[in-house]
Amino acid sequence: MRSQTSKRTGEWKSRIASELIEILGTDAVISSEDELIAYESDGLTGYRVKPVFVVLPSSTEQVSQVVKLCNREEMPFVPRGAGTGLSGGALPSREGIVVSLSRMNRILEVDIPNRVVVVEPGVVNISVTNAVSAEGFYYAPDPSSQIVCTIGGNVAENSGGVHCLKYGVTTNHVLGVEMVLPDGAIVKLGGMTLESFGYDLLSLVVGSEGLLGIVTKVFLRIIKKPQMVKTLFASFERIEDAGASVSAIISSGVIPAGMEIMDNLSINAVESTVGAGYPTDAGAILLVELDGPGAEVNVQTPTVSEILKGNGAIEIKVAVDENERQLFWKGRKSAFAAMGRISPGYYVQDGVIPRSSLARVLGEIGELGKRYGLRVANVFHAGDGNLHPLVLYDPEIKGESEKAEELSGEILRVCVDAGGSITGEHGVGFDKKRFLPLMFSEQEIDTMNLVRCAFDEKGLCNPGKVFPTPRTCVEPGMQNHSSKPPPKEMGEFF
Amino acid sequence: MSCVAKLSDMVSGFHIPGSGDADTNALQLGFSPEVILYPETVEEISRVLDFASRNGIRIFPFAGGTKLFLGNPVSTIGAALSLKRLCRVLFHEPSDMVSTVECGMEIREFQKIIGRENQVFPVDPPRLACGATIGGLVSTNLCGPMSSRYGTCRELILGAKAVRADGEIINLGGKVVKNVAGYDIPKLMVGSLGTLCVLAEVTFRLYPRQPSSRTLVVGFDDHDSCSRAARSILNADVIPTCFEILDEKLSSEFSATRGAKRSVLLRLDSFEDAVVEQIKQVKEITSGESASFVETDDEFSRDLWDSVREFPFSNEVSFSSKLTLPIEDSIKVLYDIESASELSGVEVRCLSRPIRGIVLVSVSGESSRAHGTAHFLENLADVLGGRIMFSGIRHELREKIKTWGNFGEALLLMKNIKRRFDPGNILPGEKIFDAD
Ligand SMILES: Cc1cc2nc3c(=O)[nH]c(=O)nc-3n(C[C@H](O)[C@H](O)[C@H](O)COP(=O)(O)OP(=O)(O)OC[C@H]3O[C@@H](n4cnc5c(N)ncnc54)[C@H](O)[C@@H]3O)c2cc1C
Repeated sequence: MRSQTSKRTGEWKSRIASELIEILGTDAVISSEDELIAYESDGLTGYRVKPVFVVLPSSTEQVSQVVKLCNREEMPFVPRGAGTGLSGGALPSREGIVVSLSRMNRILEVDIPNRVVVVEPGVVNISVTNAVSAEGFYYAPDPSSQIVCTIGGNVAENSGGVHCLKYGVTTNHVLGVEMVLPDGAIVKLGGMTLESFGYDLLSLVVGSEGLLGIVTKVFLRIIKKPQMVKTLFASFERIEDAGASVSAIISSGVIPAGMEIMDNLSINAVESTVGAGYPTDAGAILLVELDGPGAEVNVQTPTVSEILKGNGAIEIKVAVDENERQLFWKGRKSAFAAMGRISPGYYVQDGVIPRSSLARVLGEIGELGKRYGLRVANVFHAGDGNLHPLVLYDPEIKGESEKAEELSGEILRVCVDAGGSITGEHGVGFDKKRFLPLMFSEQEIDTMNLVRCAFDEKGLCNPGKVFPTPRTCVEPGMQNHSSKPPPKEMGEFF
Repeated sequence: MSCVAKLSDMVSGFHIPGSGDADTNALQLGFSPEVILYPETVEEISRVLDFASRNGIRIFPFAGGTKLFLGNPVSTIGAALSLKRLCRVLFHEPSDMVSTVECGMEIREFQKIIGRENQVFPVDPPRLACGATIGGLVSTNLCGPMSSRYGTCRELILGAKAVRADGEIINLGGKVVKNVAGYDIPKLMVGSLGTLCVLAEVTFRLYPRQPSSRTLVVGFDDHDSCSRAARSILNADVIPTCFEILDEKLSSEFSATRGAKRSVLLRLDSFEDAVVEQIKQVKEITSGESASFVETDDEFSRDLWDSVREFPFSNEVSFSSKLTLPIEDSIKVLYDIESASELSGVEVRCLSRPIRGIVLVSVSGESSRAHGTAHFLENLADVLGGRIMFSGIRHELREKIKTWGNFGEALLLMKNIKRRFDPGNILPGEKIFDAD
C-alpha cells in the first residue's frame, strides 16, 4: 500500500481529476475541500473521512468508466445514495472516491400490467409509490426515511419498514438489477420476472452493503393497495403485556401489516414534542395495523381487539378515519426526532430478537441502562422482533458518548445471546463490523469473503466495511488444505 | 484400504451398490456410485467432504431422491451422500413461528409436527407425497401452487447449517425473521442443486394455519374470457393461496374441470366469513364471462390439488419445462403455446400460475417435433424477457435440449461463485454448468 500512497501526489490528483472530468463533465466531479465536507459521513455522523473525489455520474456507462479508472489506479470507491444510512456504509475510503448516484434518479418504466417499475438507483423510495399510486398500486418497503433515502441505498441495505412483517423487506420486492461490477463490467441479474434459475446472485446483491458493485438500475415489484386498512391503538400498564399481545395476535392466524411498540420513555418524548395523544402514564403502547380485503379485515379487527383485552390492554381504540389513523402513527413516526428534544444526543441501535424473548430482553436492557447510568428508550417493530433501543446521552459530558456506545454494544450482545441478530435493517457497515464475530465464526466470515471475492477480487469496492478484519482473496484452491493439518482421527490415512 | 472404504469408515452407515438390499431412492440416482454413505451427524458429513476434497473424490448429495430429474445429468461420482438419516426437527418455538429442521426429514412429516401447534410450513412441491425432503426442497426450489401466496423457499428460509466442499461446517443466516448481518448465503443455497455446499439443517419461518379453506373451480369456454377473468381476479381484493389456469387438455383430465376450454383453480384460506365473501366476489367479477363454478371444501379438492401439484413432471412425456415470465405474459402465452402445438402436432399440456409469472408445460410427441416445440418455448421465454428450464428430457433429445436455457451475463459470476466455494468441483457442478 505504501507505494500506492506515495503515488497520490498533487500531480496525480490533477491528472485523475482531468480524466474524471473527461468522463463525466466538469459539473459532476467534486474535489474542492469545502464541497467534499458534505460527503464525509452518512447518517452516522460520528465517523468522518474525506474522500479524494466525489463523482456524480448520470449513466451506467459513466459509472462503468469511473470504476475502470479506479481499477487501473487501484483506488477504492464507495457508492452513495442519499447518505441516510445508519451504519456508516457510505463512509468514504481514505484515498478513495465516492460515487454518488443522486443524479441517476429517473423512473425508467412503469409497467402496471406486469406490476413492475424500473428505476435508476438514485430514485427516492417514496417516488416509486407516488408514480403508481393513482393506479391503485404501491411499493411496499417503507423505511421511516422513505422521503429521502434512495432505492440504491435500500437495495444495498435490504431495508425494511413498519409494514415488513406481512409484506417482507426489500429483498422480497426486487426482481432484478443492472450493476457495474467492481472491475467495471456491466451485468444484469434477474429482470421482469419473480423467479429465475441458477444461483440466486440477486439475493447476494440485495443486502450487500455496496460491497459487490454499484447498482445502476433496479426492477421493483409493486403491489396492489389493500382494499381496507384498520389501525388499532392499545395502551398497557406493562410492556410485557404489549409483547405478549403481539405473539397472541400472530398465533391466532392474523398477520398484521405492522405492529409497533413504544415504551414509557418514548411515549413521553413524543408527547412533549408532537402531542400524538398517547397516555403518558402508560407502560407501553402498541399499534396494530391490519390491511387486506375488507372481508378479512372486518373479521380480524374484533379478533385482535379481544386478544388485546385478554392481554391486559387498558385502553383500545380503532381509528375511525384516516385522520385518526395518521394521528396514531404520528407519534411513532416522530419517535427518533423526539429523542433529540429530550436528550442532546442519542444512539440508535438495531438489534433483533425472537419475539418470545421480548420481555426478558427488555428487562435486561433496562438493567444495562441502570448500570451505565443512561436512559434507554425503546421503539420497535414488535412483530418481527426488530428493536431500536435509543441510548440517550449528553455529548457535552466527558466520556458519556463512549459510555453510550459501549452500552449500545452490550445491547447487541443481549440480542445475540437471546438467539437474535446484531442488525435487522440498518446493516453492519463500518459501525458494527466488530460485532459480526458475535454471530459468526471465522470460517463463516471467510465463507462470506468467498462471495465477495467472486465479485471483487481486488477488494476495491467499499472496503473496510462489514468484515471485522481485512480479508484478501486467495486464488481458489489455495486456501483450502494447504494450511490445514488433517484432523487427528484421520492421521492414519496419511 | 481403498478411498471408498475409508469414506465408509467415516459414517454411521453405508451401502455398496449391488450388494444386498438397496435404498429404493438410491436406485433412481441414474448413475452408479462406488458407495452410498449414510451419515447421521453433520460432523460425519464434514469428515467425508474433508477427505473427499483432499483426495479428489466426487460426492453427490441427495435425500428423498424424488427430484433427481432436475438439472443436467452428472458425470463421474465417487460416492453418493444420503441425508436420509438426518431427519429430526431440532428447534421449534411456536410463539416465534420459527423452526430448524434437518435436511433428510420428509416435508410431510415436518408439516405434521409443526401442524400440532396449528402452524403451517406452506410449501407443496411435486412429489410431496412420495418422500420429498427438506434438503431437496431447498436445493431445487421447486415449489407448488401455494407459492402464489407464500412465495418459494427463498421467502421462507432464514438460516442454514451447511458443510462446505472442503469440509468446513458453516452456520449462516439466523433464527429470526429479520436479519441483515452479512451476505444472505442461505438464499444462495436455495436452488443451487447441491453444487455449492451440502445442506444439513435449515431454519424456516412458519405461518399460522388459516381457520377456513375453500376451493373454487371456474370453467370457461374460451381463452379470451378466461384471460379477462384472470386479470380481474388479479386486480380484485382477494388474496388467493393458490391460483392456477389450466389449458383445455389439462382441464379435460380433472373431473372438476372437464368440458371447459380453460379453467381457473382458486384456493382461498382465511377466516370463514372472509373466505365466503372472497368467493362471492370472484363469482361476481367472472360471471360476465359465462363461466361455470364448482365450489368445494372437502376430500375432492384435496385430490384435485394433489394432482395439480405434480404437474408437469412426469416420466411419460418427451420433456417438461418451467418458464418464468412477466405476470401478464404468463396469462397470454397459454394461447400461443396451445396454437403452436396444434400446428406442430405434438401433445402439450400447459398450466399458468399468474401471481408468480410461471408457466409449466409438458410436451410429448415424435422426437424432432418435440425438439421443435422446445425451441419454440425457449424463444418465447427469451423474447418475453423470461427464463426457461427443461427437465425429464427423453433420452434421444438430451443432446439437443439445454436444461437451463441461457443464464446470460450471470454465468460468469455463477462460475466464480462455484470456483470459490468448490475449486475442485467435488460437488456435482455439472448439474448446472454445461461443459465448456
Ligand atoms: C430517520 C431515519 C429513519 C430510518 N428508518 C429506517 C427504517 O425504518 N428502516 C430501514 O431499513 N432503514 C432506516 N433508516 C436507514 C437508512 O435510511 C436506510 O439504510 C436506507 O436504505 C439508506 O439509503 P440511502 O439512499 O440513504 O443510502 P446511503 O446511506 O447513501 O448508503 C447506504 C449503503 O448503500 C450503499 N449504496 C448506496 N447506493 C448504492 C448503489 N446504487 N449501489 C450499490 N450500493 C449502494 C452505500 O455504499 C452504503 O453502503 C433510517 C435512517 C434515518 C436517518
